[in-house]
Amino acid sequence: MTRVLIRLYPAGWRARYGDEFEALLEERPLGPFDVADIVLSAIDARIRPRGVAAAGDHSRGVLMTLRLGGIAAIVGGALWLVSLAGASVIQGADGQPWQALFVLALGALLVAMIGLSGDQGREQPRLVWAAVAIPIIGAAISAVGMLGMAIVGDAPFLFGASPWEVWVLGTIALIIGSGLFALASLRGGRVSRVGAILLMIGAVAALPLLFGVAYSNGPGDAGSILAILGIFAFAGGWVWLGIGAIRTDRAAGITSREAIP
Amino acid sequence: MTRIPEFGRFAEPALLILVSLSEGPKHGYAIMTDVEAGYGRPMGPGTLYAALARLEERGLIEALEPVDRRRPYRLTAVGATVLEEQLQDLAGFARLGLQRLRGSAG
Repeated sequence: MTRVLIRLYPAGWRARYGDEFEALLEERPLGPFDVADIVLSAIDARIRPRGVAAAGDHSRGVLMTLRLGGIAAIVGGALWLVSLAGASVIQGADGQPWQALFVLALGALLVAMIGLSGDQGREQPRLVWAAVAIPIIGAAISAVGMLGMAIVGDAPFLFGASPWEVWVLGTIALIIGSGLFALASLRGGRVSRVGAILLMIGAVAALPLLFGVAYSNGPGDAGSILAILGIFAFAGGWVWLGIGAIRTDRAAGITSREAIP
Repeated sequence: MTRIPEFGRFAEPALLILVSLSEGPKHGYAIMTDVEAGYGRPMGPGTLYAALARLEERGLIEALEPVDRRRPYRLTAVGATVLEEQLQDLAGFARLGLQRLRGSAG
């Protein structure tokens, strides 16, 4: 039990305080309060590493976040494209499998934004918080829309809007958030610029199509072609950003391994 | 000069640790039991070490050589100054509060 609790702390912390902390924990039996206190403090130590030993931990933490963000970006971008293509080309009985896939894409892209925004969040906090908060609100709206589809079908659902329209609102929020995230990425210059530019183009171009999907009078043929290209750019931008993040993570991993004598 | 309130939610435990160390060096378990005996409220081991790490990082306490894995800590000169200022602030605040309380009662 004691060993497991100490393992919750970062390596730098354990190297400095591990022995004496273990001795302290062995002095008396641990109650639930102690265990909860240790878990919370271990989280604090991981969130706010400090001291010389913490510097290495911090960069490792950022890189781990970058890797997870990169994987989520690739998965999210791919799911986004597959779900939209599936819903357009292969009409299911009620379209719900594609909608569920779309919500998965939404979740993956939220993870990607949080993971890839590590340093950007410190340099451009307002922009990055907006880029993440708007899609989170959108995801909630989207979930309400999906629930509505399951309950009332196409009937008016919320403030006269159909569940489908409510669901599309969530998607629009994701695209706006992605556009803001692309802007923060371009300004920060820490992730792939090509990916960020593709994402920005995709976000701007895909919006007209979504408004067209939500409301009956669509954007027209030329607008539709532009919007479809935008959807590809949007998905491609996320995948590109993800691949770039994983490459950065691998390069840093090789550098740190080479640094070990 | 480091201010204890900058320690956020660890400000109160940090102050209690400084008070405990003001009578001489102590290791973690001795600090914890001393604080619990003097203050009447439990201090979790995680909180204790989170506050110790912050105090050490700011140079308010320093670690001595460990004895059987138990490492004592002692107050530094800076730590003693910070503690004195903090206690004087608290004493002033307590006096003001008592004056107002007695004034409103009278």
